[in-house]
Amino acid sequence: MQQLLRRTLSLVCLLVTGQGSVHAAESRAEAFARLPDWQGIWISEEAADTGISGFPDTIGQPGAKPRQLMDPAGPWSAEGQRRFSALFAGMAGRKALGWGFPMMMESPAPLQFLITPEETLIINIYQEARHVYTDGRGHPPEEDRWVTTWGDSTGSWEGDTLLIDTIWVRDPPRYFQAAPPFSDQAHYVERLRMTAPDRIEWEMTIEDPVTLTAPLQVKSAFVRTPNLDRLVHDAFENDRSELEGGTFTIAPPKE
Amino acid sequence: MRKTCLTLTLMLVAAAAPAHHSPAMFDTSQRLLLAGTVREFQWTNPHSYIQLLVKEANGEEVEWSLEMAAPTYLANNGWRPSTLKAGQQVQVTMSPLANGSKGGLVWDVTTSDGRKLGGNTKGGN
Repeated sequence: MQQLLRRTLSLVCLLVTGQGSVHAAESRAEAFARLPDWQGIWISEEAADTGISGFPDTIGQPGAKPRQLMDPAGPWSAEGQRRFSALFAGMAGRKALGWGFPMMMESPAPLQFLITPEETLIINIYQEARHVYTDGRGHPPEEDRWVTTWGDSTGSWEGDTLLIDTIWVRDPPRYFQAAPPFSDQAHYVERLRMTAPDRIEWEMTIEDPVTLTAPLQVKSAFVRTPNLDRLVHDAFENDRSELEGGTFTIAPPKE
Repeated sequence: MRKTCLTLTLMLVAAAAPAHHSPAMFDTSQRLLLAGTVREFQWTNPHSYIQLLVKEANGEEVEWSLEMAAPTYLANNGWRPSTLKAGQQVQVTMSPLANGSKGGLVWDVTTSDGRKLGGNTKGGN
């Protein structure tokens, strides 16, 4: 009797509001079904050839291709050039904390895309996470401006293309010494779309009134990693890079 | 001129884009071959290391600290924690530390019978 009453009440709820737990559950399942399947582990195509040294084989050689985000041929303003010079002055003696944004999108660090109707989470091997909210919310109001390493991202789906809008990114080289020195006024717009089972095309356009004279456009793709079926994270507990005269050397092993 | 210098520096640094530190500590213009016995393989963050015992011309055994990428990048190149074992004889292609200490950056590791370690595990080594 009690069960019948509960069912009747549920039905009334559904009829009156057009919503209800059963209906909501179906809608959510349908919302998931509309999303693309980007399961797996991915790596930026540009960095997929990174070897066991952690560097491309072409390092230090003439003609070595720079990362697009660090391309000297970009439309850098005088302030952008000045920041680059300052960056290089102390680079040899600085350690990275990870990749940060935007470099994590053009790095050899593998990453995953976890897609839900409300949010896409982009997380790399260093547990750097970008929360891309796709539930229709906008950025917080300017009075609540909160500048962080990965910025504030909102997203939307245009068919099977994910559009990401990111603002309030804190000085990228502060987290990773070889990152482009964009200001926290930079605006990043990305488009991601799977164009083949093992390929997600990626475009990023950056506008920064401080360091750029025109939008910087970067285009690449993520490809599946051939050798990884999981991401295993670990802490930086065996850091043997020690400064000696402004440059690092390798400390003896800890016994 | 200033723009040219900046461009050259950018080429060097940006092409490298390492996860942890700049490659400036290594003399990457040199690629040397080092043969020895693995004392220890450190599969660790932020870098992995091969502790290699190398016999010098005078017969003395010297330990080298050879730096590699973080484990994830090794794994992505087909390496696993078991790829190197203590006591294993290997040849390492490396760029030495610029300060002359017994250390370097590993480019390639082959076994004593000439087999290159790592590779695509899905496609077979």
